[in-house]
Amino acid sequence: MIARSAWAALVLVVAAIHLGSGWQGWLPALVFSGTVVVAFACGPLVRWRRVPAGLTLLCLVAFALAGGYWVARDTAETTDPSTVLLDLVPRLLTAARPAPATPELLVPGVLLVFGIALAVAVSVTGRSLLGPAVGVVVLYTCTALLTAGRADRYGLVALLLVALLVLGWLLLDRLETGGRVLTALPFVPIAVVALLASAVPTSGAFEPRELVEPPVTDLGVSNPLPQLASWANLGPVELFRVRGPERAIRLAALSDYSGAAWRAASLYGPIGAVAAPDLPPGGRTAEADVEVTIGELTGSWVPTVGRPTSVTLDGAMVDPDSGSLVLLDELSPGLSYRVRGVVDVPEDGDLMRAGVPSGDRARRYLALPGLPFSLAEYARQIVQNARTPFERAVAIEQVVKTGRVPDAGAPVGSSYARLERFLFGAQGEPGAGAGTAEQFASAFAVLGRAVGLPTRVVVGFQPAGGDEERVVRGSDATAWPEVYFEGWGWVPFDPLAGTSSGGSSAAAKREVLDRLASITATPTTTALSAPPPFVPPTAPPQAQATTRESRQWVGLLVPAGIPVLISVMLVGLRTSRRVRLKRAGAPGAWDHVLDGLLLAGHSPPPDRTAPDIARDMGSPPALRLAELADYSAFGPGGRVVGGSEPWRLARVVTSGLKRRTRWPRRLLWPLDPRPLWRRR
Amino acid sequence: MTTTAVPAVGEDEIAAFRVLHARLGDAVETAVRGKRDVVDLVLVSLFAGGHVLLEDVPGTGKTTLARAVAGALGGVSRRVQFTPDLLPSDVTGTSVYDPQTGQVKFRPGPVFANIVLADEINRAAAKTQSALLEVMEERTVTVDGVAHAVPAPFLVVATQNPIDLDGTYRLPEAQLDRFMLRTSIGYPSREHELDVLRPGSGAGFVGAVPTVSNPHVVAEYGRRLQTLHVADPILRYVGELGAATRADDRLRLGASTRGLKALVRCVQVFAASRGRHFAVPGDVQALIVPVLAHRLVLTREAQLAGVTTEQVLQDVVAGVAVPRPSSR
Repeated sequence: MIARSAWAALVLVVAAIHLGSGWQGWLPALVFSGTVVVAFACGPLVRWRRVPAGLTLLCLVAFALAGGYWVARDTAETTDPSTVLLDLVPRLLTAARPAPATPELLVPGVLLVFGIALAVAVSVTGRSLLGPAVGVVVLYTCTALLTAGRADRYGLVALLLVALLVLGWLLLDRLETGGRVLTALPFVPIAVVALLASAVPTSGAFEPRELVEPPVTDLGVSNPLPQLASWANLGPVELFRVRGPERAIRLAALSDYSGAAWRAASLYGPIGAVAAPDLPPGGRTAEADVEVTIGELTGSWVPTVGRPTSVTLDGAMVDPDSGSLVLLDELSPGLSYRVRGVVDVPEDGDLMRAGVPSGDRARRYLALPGLPFSLAEYARQIVQNARTPFERAVAIEQVVKTGRVPDAGAPVGSSYARLERFLFGAQGEPGAGAGTAEQFASAFAVLGRAVGLPTRVVVGFQPAGGDEERVVRGSDATAWPEVYFEGWGWVPFDPLAGTSSGGSSAAAKREVLDRLASITATPTTTALSAPPPFVPPTAPPQAQATTRESRQWVGLLVPAGIPVLISVMLVGLRTSRRVRLKRAGAPGAWDHVLDGLLLAGHSPPPDRTAPDIARDMGSPPALRLAELADYSAFGPGGRVVGGSEPWRLARVVTSGLKRRTRWPRRLLWPLDPRPLWRRR
Repeated sequence: MTTTAVPAVGEDEIAAFRVLHARLGDAVETAVRGKRDVVDLVLVSLFAGGHVLLEDVPGTGKTTLARAVAGALGGVSRRVQFTPDLLPSDVTGTSVYDPQTGQVKFRPGPVFANIVLADEINRAAAKTQSALLEVMEERTVTVDGVAHAVPAPFLVVATQNPIDLDGTYRLPEAQLDRFMLRTSIGYPSREHELDVLRPGSGAGFVGAVPTVSNPHVVAEYGRRLQTLHVADPILRYVGELGAATRADDRLRLGASTRGLKALVRCVQVFAASRGRHFAVPGDVQALIVPVLAHRLVLTREAQLAGVTTEQVLQDVVAGVAVPRPSSR
């Protein structure tokens, strides 16, 4: 009894510590472990015979809920207890990920752990040892949903929990019964895990946060692209310092192009709480962790690396699609923070073969309202011999780079007109063949979109490499385009001569260019007087809404499918038990009859022999079967008696039992799992 | 030293034994009506090589039962009425001088019979009781250094009157342990009593009991039935029941290993009498009370509370899981 409780408490403490990874810091893990201990300490209280167990349980649950309300009441907008408690889960799901370890956000976790641990503490005193397993599965699933599977990326905690459960099953059985070890039982969780692993879809995972509306804020932050010129003018002025790995520092990614200018996203939410990006991250990623100390940089945009996953700044908000970070307050000199981000790092071979998304998913990154024919034709000519999206991108990069010079004094802007002058302008015109990073990046992005490459423009800094701590100056400000490749994420390109923003290696690009040069001449720059209008794509918002709705349906269907999955699993286990019993001959047939008795709601006392039970049933076939089974079990020599007769009798007896059983039990007959753990 | 394995009793022998057992039972029942279960128990003891203690009030047919068994068996039966002045030699026999031959000659006592009815055994002095119990155990009588074997089969049916205990010598527990079974006949049912009362019915008349076998056959079956198969789960079950009696706090003395061995021996004969060549748990449950109840000693508190050893054994059986056929 003590061994059982200690084992159950141990596995639940491990699961509770794992649940703590959904919150920041070590305190939640400590609190949840303590909650498990408290719940198990309440176990004897429930078993106290002077008070009905149900009443004690009710009091404990009411006490826990009252405690939860007392903790959360000050931070809620209403005083209604049920509303306060019910609102805690949406609040947790809309908080940053991992959630801050504030008392009110810990309450849902504490209540969950307390409820599960109490149920397990009560159930573990019975014969079944499945209670802890169910509790652990629930806690583990909640952790996975809360952390989007990041808490146990490699399944090590799951393995530890399964190992603890299996050990408990094996050792406790041996310790308590002194009899046979149920060697087959450990395969049940393994089978469950395997079945779930094969049945659960690997893509489009259920994300509970999609069921709640993330708290987005319309900030209306200005586009930082025009500021490039002013930063360039600042020259050696120190904007900020960066300590950490050498990566491009991003300020904002601009995805929406109107034909006149790039627009920054306007809706932002707490980091970790917002939904996943509209285009998923790539298959190869690297993490970067940098420490930034702000100098003369102003504005709301927060320098970051890659797609930020956490930042030590209060009030920082993120655009989920672009990963741009903004601060509700302006940046101030001396402000210091750490930011951790994920960077897509595809290999050359990956990109060579990669495709690009099209249709509704990428519509936003392909939009070119009113594209002039000249640009469209120019782009078409550039890529006419390119076979893959990557080759198209490299060709555009090379063409934009060739024959054009960076000029900090060139006119600003990224409208079609400015880009046409930048690309096709006659010698002597201001801005012809010269521009800042804005024009280079925009020209690449627009030409790329014209040939079906999803693109965006990123504003950031390319500080010179060197020491551990790098000083980012005004002259380091730049912009670069990025292309999204299916399965490999956003890849930066470098159409601005003399700078580098990472991405694929020069060797790969050279290889592509060599191949293209061998089969094509330099594209012509034909300017047409009356280019035909470009038809813009229509109705993307509705399509996106439909996509989101369908994902929610998937989210609802997955929980609904779990009972179906469990039912199928139970039928499978029952069938395999029947097959095993059938192989055992007469004793197996008698076991089958005992299974039937159990399902019909009868449990013979342990001192009744097989013929006694058969006589109690008043069934001559049962008596005959009991005698055959006794002969097989206790007789000398071979154990196979009666040929097919035992199973024929068993079928007669169980069908008789079924007929006498009420319909609800009969309905659940093939699914009822109780025969699986019937010991005798 | 090598041992030769005796082949286990076969199904044919069991079938023949079942017929013999039934015929013996039917024969005894011509004199003792409506007590087939008691008759079966006495026959079990006969074939198992044990002895029976019948505890009952006078006039319930104890003597008739013993003599009817002897009659059906075709053997010799003797009756010894135990009294306080009965001497051991009155039971076992003594050596006397034969003036004609001039030699000392052994004159066998009443124990030299196949069936010995020791009536009211608790009325004799302890020394006389011991003499009988020694013969029951050793199956020989030693007089003047010469051992004289009693005939086989040898069954002592001792009786005790549980009501009139004045001037009696209570059998000590160690000696009670030597009886394989204890049971009581009890009064017959109304219907059977009428049958006994009806003149010319033959009930209670030992002379009408047909002889259906002979002592040699019975002794041979007793030897063969010792090889009847008892599976390990059944032996474990017997062991668990014994352990449970030792752990029961209402008992001062639990079942002895000799008691458990006697139970297994009886189970073998009982199973054969049901036509089976193997024992089942139900056999153990059917025999545990008559075989073990008289070997257990209650605590004083349990005695004052009116608990009986039969009740304790029933509780023990209810508390120990019976082995059932299982696929595992």
